[in-house]
Amino acid sequence: MEKPIAGPSKTKPKNSEVISVPAVGFDDEEADEASESDDDSDDDGVDEMGMERLMNALGDDGLDEYEQMQLHLALGGEADEDDDEDTSDEEFTLKSGAKGSDPESSDSNDAEDDGDFDDEEDDREEDDEEGQDVALEDVESIDDDAVPKQKTEIDNTVALARIRETIQLDPSLSWTETLVLTYPDAIEVDVEDDLNRELAFYKQALHGATTARTLAAKHHLPFTRPADYFAEMVKSDAHMERIRQRLLDETAGIKKSEDKRKEREGKKFGKQVQIEKLKEREKGKKEMEERLRGLKRKRGDMLDKPNGGDDDFDIAVEDAISDRPAKRGRGAGPGGRGRGAGKVSRDARNQKFGFGGAGKRSKSNTRESTDDFGGGKRGGGFGGRGGRGGRGGRGGGRGGFGGRGGGSKRPGKDKRVAAKSRR
Amino acid sequence: MSSVLKAQKANATSKTDNKGKRKADEMDVDDADAPQLKKKKNKQRVLLLSSRGITHRMRHFMNDLEVLLPHVKKDSKLDSKSQLHLLPELADLNNCNNTLYFEARRHEDLYLWAAKTPNGPSIKMHVQNVHTMDELKMTGNCLKGSRGLLSFDKAFDDTEWGKLTKELFTHIFGVPATARKAKPFIDHILTFSILDSKIWFRNFQILEKDPVQPNGPPQTTLVEIGPRFVLTPIRIFEGAFGGATVFSNPEFVSPSAVRSAIRKEKGGKYGQRKDAEQESSRRKELRKRDEDELAVSKVFA
Repeated sequence: MEKPIAGPSKTKPKNSEVISVPAVGFDDEEADEASESDDDSDDDGVDEMGMERLMNALGDDGLDEYEQMQLHLALGGEADEDDDEDTSDEEFTLKSGAKGSDPESSDSNDAEDDGDFDDEEDDREEDDEEGQDVALEDVESIDDDAVPKQKTEIDNTVALARIRETIQLDPSLSWTETLVLTYPDAIEVDVEDDLNRELAFYKQALHGATTARTLAAKHHLPFTRPADYFAEMVKSDAHMERIRQRLLDETAGIKKSEDKRKEREGKKFGKQVQIEKLKEREKGKKEMEERLRGLKRKRGDMLDKPNGGDDDFDIAVEDAISDRPAKRGRGAGPGGRGRGAGKVSRDARNQKFGFGGAGKRSKSNTRESTDDFGGGKRGGGFGGRGGRGGRGGRGGGRGGFGGRGGGSKRPGKDKRVAAKSRR
Repeated sequence: MSSVLKAQKANATSKTDNKGKRKADEMDVDDADAPQLKKKKNKQRVLLLSSRGITHRMRHFMNDLEVLLPHVKKDSKLDSKSQLHLLPELADLNNCNNTLYFEARRHEDLYLWAAKTPNGPSIKMHVQNVHTMDELKMTGNCLKGSRGLLSFDKAFDDTEWGKLTKELFTHIFGVPATARKAKPFIDHILTFSILDSKIWFRNFQILEKDPVQPNGPPQTTLVEIGPRFVLTPIRIFEGAFGGATVFSNPEFVSPSAVRSAIRKEKGGKYGQRKDAEQESSRRKELRKRDEDELAVSKVFA
């Protein structure tokens, strides 16, 4: 079945020579395979393996680039297909078709072969278009646009309903058997928002509790636990004590931190207040110092009348210390008050309140009183009433005491030192 | 066991003669008649057990549930995690018709199986965010063994699996009136809510203060007792601890996958840095210009 190939001068003779050789060899093999190939509908066309063998046989003198391209086009360009063996006839026809050597035969052959090739190509393409699911492990090249299928989800609602009906409790059971409640509102809160989420759960529980109360009343189920019902609780008393302690500690801690914060704030503000207070105190002290010094200078001779003068001095000191020195008539005011308010001497107090409180209610015209002239209280009272400016009065009082002898003297060194330190 | 006790009680209260044979007859008769005469009651008993490898937090959590539910029977640890078919048998031995099985994996993850044991459905759930009753922030307290109210969210009724889960939880977490250790008053409420396709559980104590007005209703306040946890349903099986899957949750990501994703991210940093370095060096090469004509090496050859 060889067709003599007569073609253009250049390349043909070489090819024709070469072709004849392998043809002999192939005939025998492919006669067998032809029968096989007849069974296959797919592979009418070209045999890739055969072509490869031919090409190898041709060697370097084989097809040019142009001819190779034509050959590839004729074959439909499928490199990966594994075709079954094919008849040699068709190979040769292919060859002739590709080269277009014999115009008459080749044209017809071309038409046939091209038709065959077209069919083949179509077949191959259909195979590819059938869309096989390739498992992820088997895929050779991963297309970026390929969508991975998810694992199968099962939601067999029919089976679920059937099972539920099987295990369902008897609907005739009263509510008291199960104590089940349904919350009519849907919970739509953001999961991350802790506060609102817990609030939603709290609302659900609250609604449940209130509806349950009414239902329990209807079914005569005891609901509230009476205060005197003592039984074992879920958490032990020791545990509850720890909880209580923790709550207390928490509140105490908060209070302490609050106080500390207030103190800190107050300190900043109070520092200024403190400085001002200190200044004031210092000023007050200085004033007092000056007044006392003035007093001391004026009353240099106070040593002469230790007792009676005490009151005077005390009052004067009092005036110096106090911010508002009393008015002149102070001593004349409620008599006892002037003396009793501030520095009243021990002796005076003893005389007034001691021994059952002699004071003014005692007898005044007694045997002893006729003997002493201007002594006792009279002198002191007179002196006291004299007040500050009463030099004359004091002079009298001094005279009444019998005088110390001589005029006013500057007290000795010891006395002066003692006075100074006392102040 | 409970049936025997019931029979004994019936015997004690029966007014007939105490002859031996007749006693036996009466026992049978009583048993047969009892369920027909009395109203149908809800009888549930729950078997509570864990696998090996459980941590202290999970153990405390289990103990909390045991304390809250008086119809629960706690059993010793299950040795193997692969032989779950033993669990229905164990439940039968203990005369329980429900099971709560805590499966601890890798000392980190806790899975909860809730099943109805003879051949009922079972749910496998992943437990997260467990806060036990011991935590000092949960200040509520309730009677040990008091029957708690159950409050279910509306979302349970929207899906089929939700309805089945609601039914199962009613059997397990709802204390039947006939439980031996049950106490009379209603003290606390258990709430189940579905949020973000997870089931959130809370337990509140119901406190009543005296009303402000003497005639008004008492003011109800709630204080949390604990525990609190979040369940993610993974699969619902037709049988107890096995069988065909009738529901699988597509949004469940296993904790090990989460951990490996985190680790990959951390590990990827080195690779990304190296790639970036390579890229920059390649681009640097591209940016290299030919030597200028006036370059030193060309001018001074």
